[in-house]
Amino acid sequence: MGLLRYTLYRLLQAIPVLIGITIITFLLANLAPGDPVRLMLQGQEVDEELIETIEQRYGLDQPLHERYITYMSGLVQGDFGHSIHRNQPVSDLMLSRLGPTLLLVLSAYAFAIATAIPLGIFAATRRNDPADHISRIVALIGVSTPSFWIGIMLILLFAVQLGWLPSSGLVYPWWGPEAYDWIDTWPELLYQTARHLLLPMVALGTLQMATLMRVERTQMIESLQGEYVKLARAYGVPERTILRKHAFQVAQLPIITIIGLNLSTALGGAVLIEYVFNINGMGRLFIEAIQSLDYQLIMGITIVIGTMFVIGVIITDISYAYIDPRVTYGEEE
Amino acid sequence: MSSEPLLRVENLKTQFFTDAGTVRAVDGISFEVHEGEIVGLVGESGAGKSVASMSLLRLVEHPGEIVGGEITYRGETIFGLEEGPDGELREREDMLSNEAVRDRIRGNEIAVIFQDPMESLNPVFTVGGQLREFIELNRDLSGKEARAEAIRMLREVGIPDPEERYEEYPHQFSGGMRQRVLIAMALACEPSLIIADEPTTALDVTVEGQIIDLVDDLQEKYGTSFIWVTHDMGVVAEICDRVNVMYLGEVIEQAPVDELFHDTKHPYTQALLNSMPRPDRTVGELEPIEGVMPEAISPPSGCRFHPRCPDAREVCQRVHPEPKEVARADGYPHNAACVKHDAFDVGYDESPPLEAEPRLTAGTPGGEDGE
Repeated sequence: MGLLRYTLYRLLQAIPVLIGITIITFLLANLAPGDPVRLMLQGQEVDEELIETIEQRYGLDQPLHERYITYMSGLVQGDFGHSIHRNQPVSDLMLSRLGPTLLLVLSAYAFAIATAIPLGIFAATRRNDPADHISRIVALIGVSTPSFWIGIMLILLFAVQLGWLPSSGLVYPWWGPEAYDWIDTWPELLYQTARHLLLPMVALGTLQMATLMRVERTQMIESLQGEYVKLARAYGVPERTILRKHAFQVAQLPIITIIGLNLSTALGGAVLIEYVFNINGMGRLFIEAIQSLDYQLIMGITIVIGTMFVIGVIITDISYAYIDPRVTYGEEE
Repeated sequence: MSSEPLLRVENLKTQFFTDAGTVRAVDGISFEVHEGEIVGLVGESGAGKSVASMSLLRLVEHPGEIVGGEITYRGETIFGLEEGPDGELREREDMLSNEAVRDRIRGNEIAVIFQDPMESLNPVFTVGGQLREFIELNRDLSGKEARAEAIRMLREVGIPDPEERYEEYPHQFSGGMRQRVLIAMALACEPSLIIADEPTTALDVTVEGQIIDLVDDLQEKYGTSFIWVTHDMGVVAEICDRVNVMYLGEVIEQAPVDELFHDTKHPYTQALLNSMPRPDRTVGELEPIEGVMPEAISPPSGCRFHPRCPDAREVCQRVHPEPKEVARADGYPHNAACVKHDAFDVGYDESPPLEAEPRLTAGTPGGEDGE
């Protein structure tokens, strides 16, 4: 059970990383200028005593390291604390916002992978043809254009000018059709979800698509020049099988790494895309938390996103070990 | 040349069309391979050995192309051109289609063992899986039978515990073991001809010896013919029946192996032999061949070897010798492309010798026209 042991080993390794994340975020959030209590009172005139009471209630009068220890002792019991600004448990707030973000990021990834891999292979087999040059230009534009700008342009074109697709909000399939008085059936619900998801998905996925497409092309070209491809040809393997099997399998290894590592870019991009498309996800919640210096909420979201990223990297490593037989599980040390 | 040869190559020309010009990598070579013999293709790096052997399978990579000549395998035309009605060269009617070469020739009839055992196996598939794929593709075996055959072949080439090794990946094999796997692949497809393209060059000497012994045994057992591509005269002496020596895209000497070693007719072959350590001769110092091989993009005029040849005379700059029969041994001709032999009669003896220092580069006076 090498793979299982390896997985456990990697999960254990993630613990110090996550502790590091909590320390850095805690320091950054608490050392940022501004006072959350005064911000909450929005400039109302109140006496110092009230402020002190509030500070005492939320433990803000304690020294920094003690506040951190208090926070961490709650965290290990699954308690993310209480949002002072919204007066709700942080875990409840996050839970309601996690779904839309995951839906957005995963669909953007699905879009990127589903388009980038065929296009990359296409470009690799038509190396230096006009089609290859076009794909290079498209990729260059995709990499260098900020996703929020793509989002705004998509809204202007498809929502404002053409009126084909909605410009904001999401329809959550997990709420069921009952939750929407303008939707009756399940198919209609899924259709509406897809309609709402299309523009933000493309806006967020374009960068990933462009990156992946170029890497896929390079990897395929390299793989197609491999000796093992020459050998397969010499034994009469049809060109299509070489492309789909022999060259493709080897070429996918770096792609998996890129997908895993780009998760951070995608999650970061989601923050802006949620803002542009008015989606109530973690990203929007995060921006609101920062604006109101809601320490507990900032901490909670950073930890969740950090955990998601760490898990993404672990999944990458594990699938790499699973796909590439040359990767050992670290038992031969 | 008693019976019909298994493979006949006639005036084969393969060229690479690069930005810098046309590279005549293989420039009109002819040779034959008979049933059950091992034919050597010898020469320095860049002589065109590998391109020639890949041409036999019509697997020349872009921008290379076979531009002339004829390749016949058991009466079937792998490559052949004819003159069309308007004087243009076109592919002959009876030339095998790309699909036919792929499905019926590659693997089935002519298999290959490549030089680099470390890179030739696909790193993400098991050794057994790759072997089985080629067996299924080239023989009427499938599933369990193909697997059993693959394991049998692994055992045949001397891989211990073939059942377990079948499931392992190439990185778990040593270089010598991988080369054995490649040999198993070639033999498992039951071809009549195997092209071994420097199969032992990447291996260390002891492993090289084992591999050569293995091939020798298996060749005897299966009766497969081989084209053995190498730069190593020692290997040639050990394994080949007949030898073709290549220099700059041309076969300059062709003879049965003993004849070649004992009655060498071409100065280049002689130079190759002199540059190699031999246990049967004690020499103070090895004699390297002066200079480097010129590039096939602009070969020297006349005889292509003349800038490096110790016997070169003025006539060698002018006359380009086609190989001619200069002797006979064991019923095979001994061909050499050197004008110093009487068969050429172009006035070598009267021609003044070229001045001592052999020139080191390709750009010889007298222009580019080698033909």
